[in-house]
Amino acid sequence: MTSIRLLLPLLGLALCCGAAASDRIRVVATTSDLRSLVEEVGKERVEAISLAPPTRDVEAYEPRPQDAQKLRDAKLVVRIGLDYDLWFNRLLVHASPDLRRGGKGYVDASIGVPLLEIRAVSFDATPGHSHGAGNPHYWLDPANAEVITGGIMEGLIRVDPDRARTYESNRNAFLARLKPKIEEWRRKLERYAGAPVIAYHNSWPYLARRFRLNIIDSIEPKPGIAPSPSHLAGLIKKMKERRVAIIIKQPFEPEQMPKMLAERAGALVVPLAPSVGSVPGIDDYLALIEYDVTLLATAFEARRGGKP
Amino acid sequence: MSDAVQFLTVAFLVAIVLTGIHAYLGIHVLSRNVVFVDLALAQISALGATVAFMLGHLPQSAAAYGYALAFTLAGAVLLSLSRHWSGRITQEAVIGVIYVVSAAAAFLLIDKAPQGAEHIKQLLVGSILTATIDDLIRLAALYAVIAAFHWLFRKRFLLLTLDPVRAKAQGLNVSWWDFLFYASFGVVVTSSVAIAGVLLVFSFLIIPAAIGMIYSDRIARRLYIGWTAGVLASAAGLGASYAWDLPTGATLVCAFGGMLALAGLARPLVTARGEERRRAMRRARHLLINGILIASALSGAWLALNPRADQPLLDALEAAQPAIRDYFLSPRERDIYASAANVESTIRGESSRIGQHERDSRWQGSELTDDEVRRLASYVQSFQEMQKGEQFVQREIRNRARERQRWAIGVPLLLISLGLLLVTLK
Repeated sequence: MTSIRLLLPLLGLALCCGAAASDRIRVVATTSDLRSLVEEVGKERVEAISLAPPTRDVEAYEPRPQDAQKLRDAKLVVRIGLDYDLWFNRLLVHASPDLRRGGKGYVDASIGVPLLEIRAVSFDATPGHSHGAGNPHYWLDPANAEVITGGIMEGLIRVDPDRARTYESNRNAFLARLKPKIEEWRRKLERYAGAPVIAYHNSWPYLARRFRLNIIDSIEPKPGIAPSPSHLAGLIKKMKERRVAIIIKQPFEPEQMPKMLAERAGALVVPLAPSVGSVPGIDDYLALIEYDVTLLATAFEARRGGKP
Repeated sequence: MSDAVQFLTVAFLVAIVLTGIHAYLGIHVLSRNVVFVDLALAQISALGATVAFMLGHLPQSAAAYGYALAFTLAGAVLLSLSRHWSGRITQEAVIGVIYVVSAAAAFLLIDKAPQGAEHIKQLLVGSILTATIDDLIRLAALYAVIAAFHWLFRKRFLLLTLDPVRAKAQGLNVSWWDFLFYASFGVVVTSSVAIAGVLLVFSFLIIPAAIGMIYSDRIARRLYIGWTAGVLASAAGLGASYAWDLPTGATLVCAFGGMLALAGLARPLVTARGEERRRAMRRARHLLINGILIASALSGAWLALNPRADQPLLDALEAAQPAIRDYFLSPRERDIYASAANVESTIRGESSRIGQHERDSRWQGSELTDDEVRRLASYVQSFQEMQKGEQFVQREIRNRARERQRWAIGVPLLLISLGLLLVTLK
């Protein structure tokens, strides 16, 4: 009896959503972080999916045959840009013109973001004026979510102008939740401002800027090329001299090298989550930043407790 | 410094242990003509490790090692059977198939597992620098056991490798001993690859053995030569990697390759005696001179044909001696060139100063606002554009010099080199 009572509302929910699914806007995002932000802006009006699995290196993702299928009934695509998801270009070649660069269903989420570590050369062959490329990990600064959701909102309004008000109010509701959170996170990490940190790759400059981390060097300065012995020796020296407490890395990055450095220099390896879903339990954008901030605060605290 | 010495020492000792066993196994592998067998076995053991990973065992756990070993043994069975099929297809073909299929199968499996791809990559790339003293001791102990086993049955193993027909005639159970060979080989390769990676292990296996075989027919002497060459190449590779700030694995592989090239080139000089030796020396000198002449003739022809293209020889000369370029420029052009170079380096300094300022402001002093960050970014971008402009000016001036060098250097260089070449070839 109880089970039926429980099931009935669920059945109703399934029916209503099944009916609504037909007129929902289909959005394809390249990463899980963008998908989560699309869901914040579109709520039940959108059906968002992401292509690259968050547990791996997104830049090295190889599109699957089904990905082209997924683009077929999409109204909007949202990408990171800045050469981070270059593989998406190969899929867009076969997509409808609306979804390609310049089309009304195309959102490059990096537009308008204050970029760090700008370089003039981009591998993306963009016709016309190139806006250059910076470090692409900009979603890791929660304050950038304002610009990103802005771009997503404009895109959704372009393809679904009738619901402009809904998207605006959804976004405002999200920002209203986000802003106090940012202050709370900053307070949590405030007393570790300037503490020296080593990163595996240069993936965290935006996180560093927002939370005032001092990332002094990275283990693999050139992605994919193993560090030389002299670089490692220099790192160990630096870590000892400046008492580096933690090494941050993405979960999928190699473990041996950070472990060896941590052991030699008395530091802690902290695998931060780079994306929604890269660690079980991180289901949306706010949870992602919450996770990383909490982990950092815990790690700094543990190191302080261990070494007065 | 002391840290570097410490982990370079461990890496060097690991390299010595690897050279020790792989030079010996390499002689077998080269004689059996199954060069890629280590790739196949390494890949099949990686497949085993992947299966273990999929079933929830941590990499580097005992269970993962067990799976890898079981798969390796299965691979050894396949390889020892493949000798019987090799009437119709070569054994190398079977080995290749085992390699690609197990590599592809591992990819398919790992595609379903989160965070798996990096483990596979690690298994293949390895990293000899992170080897610990514990790794070293474990490796040395394991390889000592396997070496003892091979020493004990050396007559059978060698007979099987060098003369399988006679081995069979003597009543040796060929399949069984083949299996033992591949099984022990697989255990070695699995452990080595986990530490040093496939590329490096392949070099350890093939190159010292090949050098030994170039210089001698006797097993013992081949081994001594191979070991010496391997140890020298390891020392050179690790040293170069430290001194020139290079990735260790790739540097070691190149050092091994260089060692093989050197050994091959030096062979006529080392092995020959008396008159033969003098003749070999003469031939070597001849070859060297002709090589230089051909290179300079080609370079001269290239400059004459296409002065604006990349001119590697001239670039190198001008980098060492800018006068070669300046001589072909008017004083005004020289000034423009110098000032473009000057401005370029000033701009570079300025844009890296801005970058540093932004990086510092992340954690100290007052924070930059988003608009300030955007402004700095656009400065840097404009500076980079300006830098490109200055580089363009320098290239343009250099090209003008090249166009004059075309007749003054290119054509004479070509003619003189050809003339000398005619003389030496006579």
